[in-house]
Amino acid sequence: MGETTPEAEPRKLAEEARDRVHFEEEALELADQVYRVARRLVSTREEAEDLMQETYARAFRAWRSFQPGTNLRAWLLRILTNLNIDRGRRQQRSPDLQPLEEGDYYLYNKLEEAGREPNVEQERVDERLSQDDVVSALSAVPHDFRDVIVLVDIGDFSYADAAQILEIPIGTVMSRLHRGRRILKRELAEQTVGSV
Amino acid sequence: MALGAEIDPCDKCEELLQPFLDRELSDSERAEAEAHLDLCSYCRKRYRFEEALRKFVRQATVEEMPPDLKQKLADLRTPLF
Repeated sequence: MGETTPEAEPRKLAEEARDRVHFEEEALELADQVYRVARRLVSTREEAEDLMQETYARAFRAWRSFQPGTNLRAWLLRILTNLNIDRGRRQQRSPDLQPLEEGDYYLYNKLEEAGREPNVEQERVDERLSQDDVVSALSAVPHDFRDVIVLVDIGDFSYADAAQILEIPIGTVMSRLHRGRRILKRELAEQTVGSV
Repeated sequence: MALGAEIDPCDKCEELLQPFLDRELSDSERAEAEAHLDLCSYCRKRYRFEEALRKFVRQATVEEMPPDLKQKLADLRTPLF
């Protein structure tokens, strides 16, 4: 505080360089986790790679605005989701274009009707649904709902973190998650059982 | 979210499924759902399925980062000198 000696400026620069290196290393350590979320926010691997590079370039430039001790992964994802929106990858849907939802038992009931009742005793859901079914169904969920599912159910963010990342109220996170999961199950039913 | 007398308990249980698994229910709502699940295998199967489905969605959607991308990100770091 108020240090004016000739050594102060180089020392300050050295401290800043050390903090920046520390920040960059921490951000890079999180890259795998950030990528897993990024990959499901966009359609292709190429888009995810571009988005990651833009995100990290921006994060490295803006590192001073990160508050140490707060959630760096959420901070990086906030940059990433903002860039994703800025790049116009999202198609805003008006409410009347949102797909119909069914209840929460819908997928189970459809599998049961089709004679493919899941073996829940052994939790062998994978005997009834494939990885491709899930990826395809998720990509069919409208962006606003998918973003929340990806952050909470795949990225393991809390409702509060997801609200901060997407800059929406926590109540909106909860309602989009609730509806998004129902839409996902309807899409899964379409993928696995056929026209519904 | 108190149960109305005319509402089918399984319909109500279906409504509680997501907040139940998200641990977002009040104590009384949770007790209500658990009491119904103890008696109702129809709902119990569907709750277990939902739990397994969530795990499966998480596993099925994981795609690891391409190995060269990490180096590309590291190359974006500010040079020290």
